[in-house]
Amino acid sequence: MNPINSAQLSSPPPLLNPAMGPNQSSDTSFKDMLFDSIKQVNTMQLDADQAVEQMFTGGDVNPAEVLTAVQKADLAFRLTMQMRNKLMEVYQEVRDIRI
Amino acid sequence: MLTSFDISTSALVAQRTRLNAISSNIANMSTTRNERGEAEPYTPRYVTFQTDTGITSSGGGAGVRVGSVDYSSEPPKMKYEPGHPDADAQGYVQYPNVDMTTEFVDALEASRSYEANVGIIEVSKNLVENTLRIIA
Repeated sequence: MNPINSAQLSSPPPLLNPAMGPNQSSDTSFKDMLFDSIKQVNTMQLDADQAVEQMFTGGDVNPAEVLTAVQKADLAFRLTMQMRNKLMEVYQEVRDIRI
Repeated sequence: MLTSFDISTSALVAQRTRLNAISSNIANMSTTRNERGEAEPYTPRYVTFQTDTGITSSGGGAGVRVGSVDYSSEPPKMKYEPGHPDADAQGYVQYPNVDMTTEFVDALEASRSYEANVGIIEVSKNLVENTLRIIA
């Protein structure tokens, strides 16, 4: 049995580096990251919509693929919603600070 | 994170194609003529799978896809039926070499494999849902 090529088994991406200050971070800002992830979630939902439409209009699609697309869109959206809830929590926390 | 869904789905699609070939073999097990109506027995089809590196995960995982649908190389079964319209000069009729037992075992295997992959999707789904609990 051949071992899996070590190049394929690339080391996992480093976790958030605690030593990295806010100014040393990579050039993508938080806003860009947020927009990118929202765009990705949106694309997934559009894909799922399209797949469902194709299935119901008698297109040549596999039901398994359609259901997977829907499930992925659902999970991605719920993850985004949780991020949004957390952000709102933080905002309200800050808003309630009395000066 | 969601690649395992794609990998399992590729297996679902592949197993379904295999089941289609098995259905075709069973349906045509006594077909003695081709689509043009000439006396030529049906040749059983077999589906081969190959690794699909188009769907990869960082852990070295890869999907599966249908490599080819090939014809069986087995010679047809000869059955002595002198009165049959497709019988040859010696009275033998060529029947497709489909073994029902083998086909059913293959069908069961494809079906179980499908189930197993749905199970893996379920596991992956639970994993992501549990991850959501960290933040929720």
